[in-house]
Amino acid sequence: MLQPDTHDTGSRYPWYHTLLGYHKFSGSWAWIIHRLTGIGLITYIVVHIYTLSSLQKGKETFDIEMRLFTSPFFLFLEWALGAFILYHALNGIRIVLIDLGSRSKYHKALYYIAWTVGIILLVIMAILIFGPHIDRQ
Amino acid sequence: MTYKNFGSRTSGASSWLWQRITGLVLVVVMVGHYFLMHYTPDSGHTYEAVLNRMQNPFWKVFDLTFVVFGLYHGLQGVWNIIHDFTMSNTGRIVAMILLLIIGVGFGVLGFITILKF
Repeated sequence: MLQPDTHDTGSRYPWYHTLLGYHKFSGSWAWIIHRLTGIGLITYIVVHIYTLSSLQKGKETFDIEMRLFTSPFFLFLEWALGAFILYHALNGIRIVLIDLGSRSKYHKALYYIAWTVGIILLVIMAILIFGPHIDRQ
Repeated sequence: MTYKNFGSRTSGASSWLWQRITGLVLVVVMVGHYFLMHYTPDSGHTYEAVLNRMQNPFWKVFDLTFVVFGLYHGLQGVWNIIHDFTMSNTGRIVAMILLLIIGVGFGVLGFITILKF
């Protein structure tokens, strides 16, 4: 039976040195930000399902909680969530486009297009969310 | 190099494909949901608005799709991340069971909430 070989190769540098020493390409940023936004979004969806379910037990509690969730701070959080969603969705579409036709040579161009579209939509979203509240003063 | 946990029984092709399919459907559904919630200042944020929306069976199916596809896509993504780390067989089974519990649990919670209207 083969003995499992558990001694590591013994790098000369500590782990953080290795991590920080990676060359930073746009594609690797795309991958890690896609993964981080994904983790953020799955925690959000779980919390969202929980809050919406625990409040369908009565109209009054729901309306009181909704007044909290539409306060300006939470509207800002909702806009930040929109930023996460935009990044993850646009990068996801870019991944599908690259996979569908072996278009890896366009990966950088598609990434810039995704960022441009994302920032434009983020500004539109800010106008939609915060616009109605501006002329309250 | 341990020789114990190499290889996998399946190629992972169907989960790869379903990630893409659910992802694309979620883009469309998400745009609809977000615009619905923010098109007017308090559309969708009060009990009556949700009640009125839920009378129409189209929105019920819309939200149910959102729950199922969203939970599948997200938890499959978490499973991908877990797969990037070497893990003993029992560790993998425990992780899979935890993900299944979360997925089925919150899916059922979402279904009950939506269908109760």
